[in-house]
Amino acid sequence: MIKLTSDQLDQFITSLAEMWEVRLPILLSDGTRIIGSLKDGPLALLGGAILSKPTAAFFPQHGTVFIATEDGVPESTDSLQPIFILGFTPRDLACLRFIDRFFADGFCDDLYFHQRKSAVVAGISGYCGPYGSLLAPAGGDCDLEFFWEGSSWLVIPYSSAGKALVAEFTDSAPPEAENRYRQAVMTPPDENERFLRRASELLRGNSVPDSFWVEIGDRCIACTGCNLACPTCTCFGVQDWRSAKRVERSRMWDSCQLDGFMREASGHNPLGSEAERSRRRIHHKLAADPEKWGEISCFLCGRCDAVCPTGIGIIAVARELVTRFG
Amino acid sequence: MSDTPCQRSLYQPFDCEIITVTDLTSAEKLFRVRRMDGLPLGHLPGQFVQVSLLGWGEAPISVASSPTREGAFELGVRNAGSLTSAMHLMQAGDTFGVRGPFGRSFDLQRLHGQDLLLISGGCGLAPLRSLIQYCEDRPDEFDQITVLYGAKSPGDRLFKDELAAWEASARFACSLTVDSVPGGDCFSGSVGLITALIPPLTIVPENTVAVVIGPPAMYRAVIAELKKKELGPERIVVSLERQMRCGVGKCGHCTIEHLYCCQDGPVFWLDEIEHLRGAL
Amino acid sequence: MKRTLTVCPYCGVGCTFYLVSDKGRLVGVEPSATHPVSRGGLCVKGWNAYAFVHHPDRLTTPLVRRDGLLCPASWDEALNLVIEKLQAIQAKHGRDAVMFASSAKATNEENFLLMKLARAVFGTNNIDHCARLCHSSTVTGLAETFGSGAMTNSISCLDQTEVILVIGSNTTEQHPLIGSRILNAVRNGVRLIVADNRRIRLARHAELHLRHKNGSDVALLNGIMHVIISEGLTDRDFIAARTENYDALAKSVAEWTPERSADATGLKADEIIATARLFAGAERAMIVYSMGITQHSHGVDNVRCIASLAMLTGNVGRTGTGVNPLRGQNNVQGGCDMGALPDLYSGYQKVSDQKIRDKFARAWGVDELPESPGLPLTRAMDAASAGHLQGMFIMGENPMLSDPDQGHARKVLENLELLVVQDIFLTETAALADIVLPAACYAEKEGTFTNTERRVQRLHKAVAPPGTARADWEIICDLAERAGYPGMRYNNTAEIMNEAAALTPIYGGITDDRLDQHGLQWPCPDSSHPGTPILHLDHFTRGRGRFSPVTHRLPAELPDEQYPFVLTTGRTYFHWHTGSMTRRTHLLHREEPRSFIELHPDDAARIGVRDRDKLLVISRRGQVHTEARVTAMVIPGVVFMPFHFAEGAANALTNNILDPESSIPEFKVCAVSVEKLL
Repeated sequence: MIKLTSDQLDQFITSLAEMWEVRLPILLSDGTRIIGSLKDGPLALLGGAILSKPTAAFFPQHGTVFIATEDGVPESTDSLQPIFILGFTPRDLACLRFIDRFFADGFCDDLYFHQRKSAVVAGISGYCGPYGSLLAPAGGDCDLEFFWEGSSWLVIPYSSAGKALVAEFTDSAPPEAENRYRQAVMTPPDENERFLRRASELLRGNSVPDSFWVEIGDRCIACTGCNLACPTCTCFGVQDWRSAKRVERSRMWDSCQLDGFMREASGHNPLGSEAERSRRRIHHKLAADPEKWGEISCFLCGRCDAVCPTGIGIIAVARELVTRFG
Repeated sequence: MSDTPCQRSLYQPFDCEIITVTDLTSAEKLFRVRRMDGLPLGHLPGQFVQVSLLGWGEAPISVASSPTREGAFELGVRNAGSLTSAMHLMQAGDTFGVRGPFGRSFDLQRLHGQDLLLISGGCGLAPLRSLIQYCEDRPDEFDQITVLYGAKSPGDRLFKDELAAWEASARFACSLTVDSVPGGDCFSGSVGLITALIPPLTIVPENTVAVVIGPPAMYRAVIAELKKKELGPERIVVSLERQMRCGVGKCGHCTIEHLYCCQDGPVFWLDEIEHLRGAL
Repeated sequence: MKRTLTVCPYCGVGCTFYLVSDKGRLVGVEPSATHPVSRGGLCVKGWNAYAFVHHPDRLTTPLVRRDGLLCPASWDEALNLVIEKLQAIQAKHGRDAVMFASSAKATNEENFLLMKLARAVFGTNNIDHCARLCHSSTVTGLAETFGSGAMTNSISCLDQTEVILVIGSNTTEQHPLIGSRILNAVRNGVRLIVADNRRIRLARHAELHLRHKNGSDVALLNGIMHVIISEGLTDRDFIAARTENYDALAKSVAEWTPERSADATGLKADEIIATARLFAGAERAMIVYSMGITQHSHGVDNVRCIASLAMLTGNVGRTGTGVNPLRGQNNVQGGCDMGALPDLYSGYQKVSDQKIRDKFARAWGVDELPESPGLPLTRAMDAASAGHLQGMFIMGENPMLSDPDQGHARKVLENLELLVVQDIFLTETAALADIVLPAACYAEKEGTFTNTERRVQRLHKAVAPPGTARADWEIICDLAERAGYPGMRYNNTAEIMNEAAALTPIYGGITDDRLDQHGLQWPCPDSSHPGTPILHLDHFTRGRGRFSPVTHRLPAELPDEQYPFVLTTGRTYFHWHTGSMTRRTHLLHREEPRSFIELHPDDAARIGVRDRDKLLVISRRGQVHTEARVTAMVIPGVVFMPFHFAEGAANALTNNILDPESSIPEFKVCAVSVEKLL
């Protein structure tokens, strides 16, 4: 375990810029934190999860699928600089692990792995959550993890890429710092996690009446923010833009909260009501994904609850559901 | 992360050329197509492809021909949206992109040696035709084969010549019906819903598999009739239509609870999906 | 990756977000975590606001009509031609033979400059913009009663009130981040009254949903006020201390018993009484309204009644109260503030006031400025068909779809001697133009927008405009220069705002560097002023608030045997106005791809129409093809159509009958017949 002061961390980050496109938490002028580059503003490692999902580095809101020119030959994509990205909380890392698996399963999504496969992902944990709260360490799911123990950073490399990056440093963490880390690992799951698991059981047990989803649907303004903010939402739409000499096919984040998401040309729509769509949003994470992937695909990052204008993010819904139906 | 196995782009179509275009009805055409690189499509009955028209995007189209018919494949396309109407303007010699084949095919192993009851309505005959042709070409693989087909009106029937040939063929027991006959049309066939064709049949449940493909409203009614004939959900096959955008289990537009219609389907055994919300 | 903080280009709520760009191309939107209005959220249009910017249909070069066809031209050629032709028309037909249509989509700076161009360079007050079509009744009605035609309170007041009356506003769809705030308020115990005969989302959460007849708002509000007065629920101290003309109001509503009101509105008397008691019984109550109030031939009267109701119950000048007209466009407030109006300079300073004219003339270095008020936009079409107007310069508006009576509008626009359209896409209006000037969109320029709560906010340039397209303000300055006017040279938009602020008392303290965090709410008279979240705190802008009693007038066109349905028009959640941006945004277009008409199930059954059937809708003005949407959203006898769709345009049907005072058209009521197409 390596110990770095904030200054040493700054130097380390600066030193990466030659090899990597470095992306990390930055504070912007209006107080919003983003994953950006050092030229965007001051570094803002403390404060917990970034409102916009960090997985956008690999699956951006809008991305080109291909460009076909007049003679039909696809334009080649330019060479890329590998990304070093810091700012995934442990919950974000769980999300990343989930969508890594999703995009690799069966047919491998080369658009996603284009940047992903050469990227180095660094987690951030420790007493750097909102108001200094503890983010329990991920202990994996990334190349290396930065743990804020209150006054300095402990760096724990996991993968070979992560180890190579910090090879120049010696294991310098004092035992008491390592102890704080080990204690943090033992943090019990929080209350929201219990609500989520119980809500999942209720959904899988068919214990939630349809009337509940009608109520939730009534409160949804279909902003689609829940989906767009969610690091494990992977649905996309596809569009073609045709101009005189080229066609650009691109894909963009899509949302199951839109009536047009599943509507067929005939007008038939398996998700044709607000209630069905509201159910799908929660059910997919808490019941369908556990069935297919063996785990709940909400890792309680809190983003949908943060962006939802009407207070029906997944945590709020799970709590309401458990409170009402057991 | 390293050594993730991505070869060529998943979303890059290959070019295909139209050999012939035939009108099936006023709204449906049959495109006979071959790969420009000369390779076979390599599909199995029941699979679909993503047809790509630059400027229009992609649409999932089931393959209407059997892989036993070599040299080309066929796509039955209904003029229903912007892409399909653009496609309807295309002619022999024109090219478009294709990705695939995708999805789960009919389980030919489990169908082997069985009596087959092949039921379709409307455009559902197009995907089913890949299996019917397969049966024609490999008659020894199956026992009795019954084909039931219902269309809205005589003019809405797909593959009219082949329907006539199947009716005439000794290999198939073939019953056709139409929902109604518009005034002025001269029509001597049977009129009524497709469900009415099932009760008169003699079915040996333990040696029969029914395949049902049709518009959303048809499934429940036909399945109810089949169950009256003691046919269990493990002996009924359906093929479901969804708005697949990618065909490869990523875009999320075709999910049925935890299943992806484009990968886990479009062909399902009824017992896999009948308990799933929104499946039928 | 670059992030640029900017203001949403759609509605008047004024959410801010970051545009994400990569190598000069927009690739997404990230919300601002701290914005006081959007608070980390956005609506579906905001989340997709990046998506139309690089669309291949964008205009990239000026176009000039040659032999009937619009052909690419150089900026020199196009701009010289604009000036040459405008000047020729003025020389031949007089200064007022040309008209400038400004844009509620353009920035404050651009609106200020276009009105300066019209007045200082071309010497005409013929300048207006689409506020004429949405809230001109508010500007007139509230100016008369309160002295200021803007939203009195702030959006945050919705969290601090007890009762909210929403009348004629489909808030969750048209101002989603305000609508969602109302939903949250209701969850937290605020009591909601919705007066709107469509069963909008808010109605599902309302304690009282009043489905009154279209155009019966005066009858409803008079009835409510009658009950408040007769049951002694008025705020006597407020009336005595802060208002005038109460007796006239009391006398006028005396005859509006709940029974009479019920008869005129189609409601039950009990509903009117319950509404009066609930509203007047609250310590703090807010009124929220929008086009359902304003777009009537008696729109100003509707607004007067709303003002009276608020004053009667003492609900002005405090947190959690107020009269809150929700402005439609992102910068329709600013368009008005900046004087893109035929009778007002920036800051609502009257054109008819010699001292004001002198002030502007001095600042702009001209000898005199025109004195008589110009034409309202909605009277321009008639003026043109009468031959008084020969040339129109339209910046960022699409009257072919947005004006009432499309057939008439088309004829007039086609017959103009000169039509210049400056826009980002070749809209239905631009397609008729003689000269088309390609403009930068919101993501490609600097400037400020003013939201519905009078918050002036900065937008920032994220990417370069396509081709040779230029920001509206740059084009206007270039035109002024070519017209021989030297007083329009600016290095940046901040300099324009400085000029506007110096001439506009309510913007006096507004400078770009003060807007960086979350903007400032006007009035902001000087550089140390913190802005004004709530108007009329101790006294009304005009001194005392004035009760203006009104008599009930019916809509101009009511259903009859031949045209048995009331058509009311509006927008959908997913599209913006004439759709030039949203219909080029994949997800939004997919959601509402075509024209439709809402029809009640009983009506549909009666005329043998099923959902998704193709219909022909006919009015005295024209006819359109559209698709049936059979839904209990509307009441029997009333049909609703959005006006976004060129191929099924609601405004081919609407009635260009105007409110006599504000010149707003009666978009909300006309008579149509509906037939099934076979």
